[in-house]
Amino acid sequence: MNHILKMSGTIASTALSLFMFAAPASAATAETVEIRGEVIDTWCYLSGVMGGPDSVTGSAHHTCALWCAAGGIPIGVLAQDGTIYMVLKLEGEDPLAQSDSIMKIQSDVITARGQHYMRDGVNYLVVEKVVTNEGITNVNHNDFGVVPGFAIPKKK
Amino acid sequence: MMTAAFKGFAAGVALLATTQLAGAHDGVTHETSNEAAQHLTASANTPGFPDIKGGDFNLVDQNGEPRTSRDPSGQHQLVFFGYASCKAICDVALPRMAEAVERLKKEQFSVTPILITVDPERDTVETMGESVKRIHPDMVGLTGSETALAEAYKAFQIEKSLVYEHPDEGPIYAHGSFIYLLGPDGKFKTLFPPVLSSERIAGTTAAYIKGEK
Repeated sequence: MNHILKMSGTIASTALSLFMFAAPASAATAETVEIRGEVIDTWCYLSGVMGGPDSVTGSAHHTCALWCAAGGIPIGVLAQDGTIYMVLKLEGEDPLAQSDSIMKIQSDVITARGQHYMRDGVNYLVVEKVVTNEGITNVNHNDFGVVPGFAIPKKK
Repeated sequence: MMTAAFKGFAAGVALLATTQLAGAHDGVTHETSNEAAQHLTASANTPGFPDIKGGDFNLVDQNGEPRTSRDPSGQHQLVFFGYASCKAICDVALPRMAEAVERLKKEQFSVTPILITVDPERDTVETMGESVKRIHPDMVGLTGSETALAEAYKAFQIEKSLVYEHPDEGPIYAHGSFIYLLGPDGKFKTLFPPVLSSERIAGTTAAYIKGEK
């Protein structure tokens, strides 16, 4: 398991990372940042409906994360410090677009270069380039199984 | 295979969403929207946020009355794109939006909740009224011609795609899931990820209404 990505905080604390309030803002405009982290399904990660944060990331949650992304749930990048960046736009796509590009990077560990915006206390990332893609490195399905189990349909 | 898989998945998500949402928590708790709004005011928005054109739609409400992006009663508007029979993300986002409207109402802020359909074949003037009232008594359901709706989707950068045809429930669509806040004039104010709590949506909305954002 990739220890860098292994999250130990509670849902509340991780959610706080997404919604943390900005320090008194001094940025006159968006800053260019490079964020390394796992592409996550923000709904399942933050709502906690499918389980704790350790189980709704990585290979254990990959199938569900694909369904959620396909259904329009925004993806996020879970950075190494626990901050979650809502991805507002991927390179080459329109803002807010639900595209195949999202499906190709879901659950992967990427380094994304782009513009960081704070808006109403939420971190947003406009990805200009996916600099590196390490694939799914958080191989946690041996620990948690498929989360949730119904993400993979039973054979009739 | 795809269709059967999504059917089971959507049913599971809907069940969990409806039974466990009360436990959802975003980590920041406030007693009132006012308090949340004050807290939010302390955080400034980064200038130059990607522009969402918003507004500029000409649709028809559930009473058959034409409606543009300008609110006829002069209220701010919370807008979501979805469809009345959606049992996936709409079942999460729309109740949250309705809860936010109720929270705001308790603090004397009137906001209009709006559902713009991505399924105009089923969400018609004849059918939408009953559906949207079940979500919130003040909710406005908007539909229209394919052309008029396409303009609205374009303005808000909404994409929709048919996932599959459910044998009992009909077409299942994938679609954008952000909630938009518009001013009374129909201008885009901000957007909310559907993972935000109703408390946060209400608090931020209140800050915009009071001109603090």
